[in-house]
Amino acid sequence: MNTNRSVLFEGIVVEEELHLSSTEICQACAIRQEHIQEWVAEGVLQPQGSSYTEWRFTGHSLRRAKIAARLMRDLELNTPGVALALDLLEEIEALRKQLNPS
Amino acid sequence: MEYQDYYKLLGIDRSATPDQIKQAYRKLARKYHPDVSKESEAEKRFKEIGEAYAVLKDPEKKAAYDQMGSNWSQGQGFNPPPNWNSGYESGDHGWGDSSNADHSEFFESIFGRRTQHAKQQSAKLNIPGDDHHAKIEIELMDSYLGAQRSIGLKMPTLDQNGNIRMQERMLELKIPKGIRSGQHLRLAGQGNPGFGSGKAGDLYLEIMMKPHTIFKVDGKDVVVDLALAPWEAALGATVDLPTPTGKVELNIPANSMSGKKLRLKGKGIPSKEPGDLYASIRLVTPPAHSESEKEAYLAMAKSFAPFNPRANP
Repeated sequence: MNTNRSVLFEGIVVEEELHLSSTEICQACAIRQEHIQEWVAEGVLQPQGSSYTEWRFTGHSLRRAKIAARLMRDLELNTPGVALALDLLEEIEALRKQLNPS
Repeated sequence: MEYQDYYKLLGIDRSATPDQIKQAYRKLARKYHPDVSKESEAEKRFKEIGEAYAVLKDPEKKAAYDQMGSNWSQGQGFNPPPNWNSGYESGDHGWGDSSNADHSEFFESIFGRRTQHAKQQSAKLNIPGDDHHAKIEIELMDSYLGAQRSIGLKMPTLDQNGNIRMQERMLELKIPKGIRSGQHLRLAGQGNPGFGSGKAGDLYLEIMMKPHTIFKVDGKDVVVDLALAPWEAALGATVDLPTPTGKVELNIPANSMSGKKLRLKGKGIPSKEPGDLYASIRLVTPPAHSESEKEAYLAMAKSFAPFNPRANP
């Protein structure tokens, strides 16, 4: 295994400076267009805009889409299952924060 | 190299039926899925059971594995006999699924490495590379001040023969000031290489902030515990407060009782609209040992005679 040294990279903060298009979300999560459409229809993702080509997703959606893609692949969950799991995961996260606030 | 006992990893007998294998895998997969699980080493366990299932669900691979016999134990030193995998065809697509490319050395010795031959394809096809995802862990201070970080990424690259090899890539990265846990950095064109003239994918880095011993982060806001003696809280005081950027003097107004939070506006995580820093007041009451300490509590009880902490508000 070789090691490459490279220059200093500066990334873009997705949450603050970017809104991802449907194609970018598909590419980022290695999923097909149909999945994005299904997830939006089910309310898993809530983009701005009114059609597939106009949808713009936030970094929060990217995070949800990544988890959704993994749950679908690894546990073979269907869309309603993914939607339920994501909502429960976020609820658990919020409850954990309350349990362990300061 | 260590022997992998795939049956033991899934907690099943060698005589398990395909349905039992699937059931055992599903149960463990739900338990250890890194997105769902809070178990320690969930990711490692998930990979192990994924590898075990990839072998045991496939009749051909299972047969090859079973052929080694059952006199091995998990983790035992293992050297494959010469020509072990001769005559074993691995089919035309790689093993396992793309989300789980990290197989053990043991797995690779039996079933071969996941090298794909891109050469023939690259002549005709131009395919853009996949986006690559990784997580980086930062400290709270990195978010306050910005930082520079070296990160190592394991990424597929093409060698001269057009084969895909996993290669470690070091990347010097600027961590922008104000970045928060759960946010992503996108580095355009730094993902997996494309085939032919297809352009490279993007690199997405998810930020994880290491928990700090003193400061708790909630979105852009930061909370720090502030212990006060009862007289400090009741009469007011000036105390030292640690903040992520150094100590400050904080005026405690009189009657700042337990559970109250004092806000230091704009002293949270920096941003266009920076977060706030909260000092969360907690009263610490000293025990009374000496006579004079006991007297002080008695005097207090006398002065506060009507006070009942258990009275309903």
